[in-house]
Amino acid sequence: MINRVGIDVGGTYTDAVFFHDGRILNTAKVPTQSENLVETLMNAFDTLKIPDEQTINQITVSTTLVTNAILQNRIPSVELLLFSGNGMNVNALPWPVSYLKLSGEMDFRGREIEAPNLKEWKRLPSSVLQDNLAHVAIVGKFSHRNCLHEEQLAAYLKQLNPSIKIALGHEWGQANFYRRSLTTYLNLGVSDIYHQFAQQLQAAVSARNIQAPIYILKADGGSLPLAKIRPIDSIYSGPAASVLAALTQSDSDSSSIIVDIGGTTTDIGLILSGVPLLSSKGAQIGAFSTLVRSLAVRSIPVGGDSVVRSTDQGFIIEHYRLGPAYCLGGNAPTPTDAMRYLRLIDYGNLQLAEEGLATLLPPEGRTPQSLHDLATEIINKVVDQIAEAVDSLKREWEEEPAYKVWEVLHPHESKEFNTLVSGGGARGIAAALGKSLKASVHIGAFPEVSNALGAALARPTFDCTLHLDTYMKQYRVEETGEQGKWTGSLRPHREVEGFLETLVQQQAAHYGIEIQDIEKEPFDFFPIIQNYQTVGQIIRGAVHLRPGVIGRVQE
Amino acid sequence: MKRTGILFFPAFDWSLGDTHPEREERLLYTQEQLFEEGILDLPQIKQFSPRIASIKDVLGAQALFPNPEAHTDTLDPHLIAAGSAILLGEAQVNGEIDNGFVMARPPGHHSGATVWGNRGFCSLNNEAILVNHLRAHFGKTRIAIVDTDVHHGDGTQDIFYHDPNILFISLHQDGRTIFPGSGFINEMGGPNAWGQTLNIPLPPGIGDEGYHYIMENWVLPRLEAFAPEMIINSAGQDNHFTDPLASMNLTADGYGRITELLQPDLAVLEGGYSIETALPYLNLAILLALAGEDYHHVREPQKLKRSSISLAALKPYIQELKKQYQTLKPEFKIQNKPNFPKGNWIYIPHSVYYDTDGFQETRHDYIRECSNCAGTVYIESRRFTQKSVLVRIPFQACPDCEEAGYDLWDHLQKPSEHYTSGLLQNQLRDKQDVWNREEGLRQF
Repeated sequence: MINRVGIDVGGTYTDAVFFHDGRILNTAKVPTQSENLVETLMNAFDTLKIPDEQTINQITVSTTLVTNAILQNRIPSVELLLFSGNGMNVNALPWPVSYLKLSGEMDFRGREIEAPNLKEWKRLPSSVLQDNLAHVAIVGKFSHRNCLHEEQLAAYLKQLNPSIKIALGHEWGQANFYRRSLTTYLNLGVSDIYHQFAQQLQAAVSARNIQAPIYILKADGGSLPLAKIRPIDSIYSGPAASVLAALTQSDSDSSSIIVDIGGTTTDIGLILSGVPLLSSKGAQIGAFSTLVRSLAVRSIPVGGDSVVRSTDQGFIIEHYRLGPAYCLGGNAPTPTDAMRYLRLIDYGNLQLAEEGLATLLPPEGRTPQSLHDLATEIINKVVDQIAEAVDSLKREWEEEPAYKVWEVLHPHESKEFNTLVSGGGARGIAAALGKSLKASVHIGAFPEVSNALGAALARPTFDCTLHLDTYMKQYRVEETGEQGKWTGSLRPHREVEGFLETLVQQQAAHYGIEIQDIEKEPFDFFPIIQNYQTVGQIIRGAVHLRPGVIGRVQE
Repeated sequence: MKRTGILFFPAFDWSLGDTHPEREERLLYTQEQLFEEGILDLPQIKQFSPRIASIKDVLGAQALFPNPEAHTDTLDPHLIAAGSAILLGEAQVNGEIDNGFVMARPPGHHSGATVWGNRGFCSLNNEAILVNHLRAHFGKTRIAIVDTDVHHGDGTQDIFYHDPNILFISLHQDGRTIFPGSGFINEMGGPNAWGQTLNIPLPPGIGDEGYHYIMENWVLPRLEAFAPEMIINSAGQDNHFTDPLASMNLTADGYGRITELLQPDLAVLEGGYSIETALPYLNLAILLALAGEDYHHVREPQKLKRSSISLAALKPYIQELKKQYQTLKPEFKIQNKPNFPKGNWIYIPHSVYYDTDGFQETRHDYIRECSNCAGTVYIESRRFTQKSVLVRIPFQACPDCEEAGYDLWDHLQKPSEHYTSGLLQNQLRDKQDVWNREEGLRQF
C-alpha cells in the first residue's frame, strides 16, 4: 500500500499532500518561515492530520534551502585551489569566486604532463594551512581522468591541518573543468547548512516516532534519501516537482508541455513520451555554472501577480509584484485583474478588477470596449512570453547536438503535445494559450498542491556513466567520480556489460534504492590505434534511471 | 571578442576502416579537450547541431558519377559533413555568428568536380558545396578559399579552376614529396580564371615563423587584392610537427596565429591525423583565435624535436616562386570537337587517381573561352567502360555560354552517342539535371 507524504517549500507557502492508495487524502498549506525550514516542514506535516502516521512509507521534501543559501549568498567562504594547466586562459570564463592557480597538469587520458610543485604548497595562504575551520575545494583540469594531484594535495593539507574540510573536483566526474570547479565549490559551501538541516529534520520526524525514510527531491526530478544526496543536487526541485505532478495526471507515454503559473514566475517544462526532458547542460544558479543535472525548465518572470504598468506606448508587464492583485485588495493592476475582468476566473472582486485596469487607461478612454481590449491584450502578452519559452524548450530538444551518423539519420520524431496548465492563473490563460500553441490545453488537477504531489510520487533517479580506457587500464564513473584499475582484457565486449552492471548494483545499494525500468545506452567502442595496430579501446557506456513517478493520481 | 559558431560532428560511429587514420577515435581527444576547457561556456560561443546536405546541394558543385544512386551506401557521413558546413555558413551569412568552425569528419578537399568514389579520405567537397550553396541562395559572388592543409587541395582547385569569382589559395608540402602529387606554381587557373588559383608548394620542415612569413607576405596581400566577401579556411591540421603523414614543423600556437592572421569567416576542418598529440590542441587554438580569445597558453605536451627551415633559407625560395607566379604566361590549347557549339574550346586532359579504392578516372576537360562570363565547362569522364559527362553553365553565365551548355547537353543524350550518363549543372538558374541512358532525365 502506497502511503506517501510530499512537502514542497515555496517562497511564500509550503504545501503538503498525503497520498494514499491512488488518491490524495489530505492537503495542507502553511506559510513558509524561511528562517526555520524544519519548523515549516513539520508544521505542514502536522496540518495534514494523518490519522495513522506509522503507516507512512516515505516522506519526500522539495526544499529551497540550498537554492536560497546560494542566491542570498549565505555560504561560508571556500578556498578554491586549481591545477589549471595549459590551454584556454582560465580567466576567459567568468569566475564568480576567487581562486588560486597551482602548477601540475594532466592530459585527457589522465597522463601526468607536469608534477605539482611542493614549494608552491608550502607557500599557500594561512587561511588554507592554519585555519582549522577552512573549507578547501581542490580541482584539477582532467582530474576526472586522473585524480592523483587532487589527492596528493588533500593528503598534504590534512596532515598539516587535520580539521579542515576538503572537497575534491574529480567527484564531479563529467568533463568541464570550469563547471567542476564551481560545483565542487558550491557543494562544499552549502554542506554545513544542509547537514544541519538534515539532522534537525530527521530528529523532528524521529521524535514523532515515524519510521518512514525521508527523501529529498533533486533538480533532475528524482528523489534520494536525505543522508545520501549531494546537497547541491537539491537546487531547483520546485520546477522539477511541477513537471512530476504533470506525470501523475497523464498517460504514461504521452508528450506534454507543462506550464505552472505562479505569482511572479511561470515555469515551463517538457515531457517527451512520458519522460521529462533533461537539460543538456548543467544547471545555472546565480552566477554559478554547475554540473548539476536538472530538468530542462524555462522560468520566465511573469505571473498572475506581476505588476502591469502603463507607458507611453501602452503598458508593460513588470518582473515584480506589489502584493496581491488589485481585485484581491492589492494596489496595482495585474494579469489576474485582466482574467477576472474577462470572467475567466471566479475569484477576486469584479468591480475592483475593473477599477484596477482602468488606472492603465486615460480617464476619457475608460469604455467597456477599451477595458475589454486592454484585458485581452494583457493576457495575450503573458501567453506570448509563455509560447516563446515553449518554443525555446522545443528547440533545445530538437537541436540537441549529435555526434554520430546514426543520430543525424534518425532525428527526433515530431510529437503531438498536449498542454497542462497549473497554478493560480491556470484557468485565466488556458483558452488564449491553447490558441497560441495550437494544442489542447488541460487544467491540472489540484493546482494548489501540485508540487507537493509531484514530490510525493517522485521516483529515485540515478545515472552511471562508465569511461573505460583499456590501454591505460583505468576506468572512471562520471557521477560518483570513482576511479579504478581495469584488470580485464584490452578489447572487452561482454565483459564490460557485466562490469557496468556491477557498478550499477553497487551504486543502488549505496543509495539504498531499488532499480527498475533501467535504461541502457548502447556502448561506444573506440579502438585505440598505434602504428596501424589496435592496442586497446576506449569504451563509453551508461545506464539511467530516468525521472518518473510511482503511480497516477485518481481524481 | 567574436561571436563564434562551432559545429562539432566527430562521427563517432564511422570509420574508413578499422585502423584507418580517418576513424572513430580521430576527434575523441579533441572532444575531451574542448569540453574539459569549458569552451562551450564562453559567452561568445554557440554550438550548432549537424544537418544533412541534399543531393541537389552536392550536384551544385560536384557530379556524382555514374549517377547519385551509385553512391547511396557510402555517402551519409559525407552528406552530414557537407550539410554541417552549409548550416554554419548560413548562420554566418545571416549574421547569427561572426565566424565559425566546422569541426566535422569526414574531410573533403581532395574531392573534385567529378566523383567516382573516395580519394584522400574525401568523397564530397564540403567547402565547395557550401560555397556554391551560398552563391545560389544568398547572393554571394566573390569568395576566397585558403587551404592550409599540408596536402594540396586538389579537389577544391579542380572545382573552381575555371571560376574567376573564386580565389583558391593552397599552401602545402611540395607535391613531389607527398600525396596527391599536385599543386605546383604553374597551376594557376583556367583560361577564363587565370591567376585565380595560387599554389604555394613548401619544402618539408617549414615552422611557424616561415609559415607566418608566407601568410603575411604573399597570402594576405593576394587576398586583399581580390577583396572577397567571404574567406573560408580549409583548416587541415597536418602541418603539425607530430603529424604521422607529413613533414612540416608547425605548433599549436603557430596554428592559432595563422587563424588570427587570416581572420576566416569560416574554418572547415580538413586533414590532420596526429589525433592525440596535435588535434586537441590545434582545434582548441583555432577555435580560441576565431573567438578572439588568447590562444598562447595552448601548448602541446611534446616539444619540437627538429629545427625548422630558417627564414633566411626560406626567403629566396619564396622569392623565386613568386617570380615564377608573376611571369608565367597561360599556354592553352584550343581543340574544338565536331558538334561543339561555336566558340573557342580549350582542351585540358586530366587524370585522377582514387587512392582509397585504387582506380583511375580519365578526364577530358573543355572550357569555352569567354570574356563575358566564367565560360561553360564540358567534362568527359571515364572509369573503365563507363563514360559520363558534366556540363557546367556557370554562375552569371552569358546567353551564349548558356546556350552552348544546352546544345552540349542535348547532344550527349542522342542515341548515336555512347555516354552512360551525365549531369547538367546549371549554376545560373540553380537547376541540376541528371540524365542516365537507361532511366532518362531527372531534375533537381
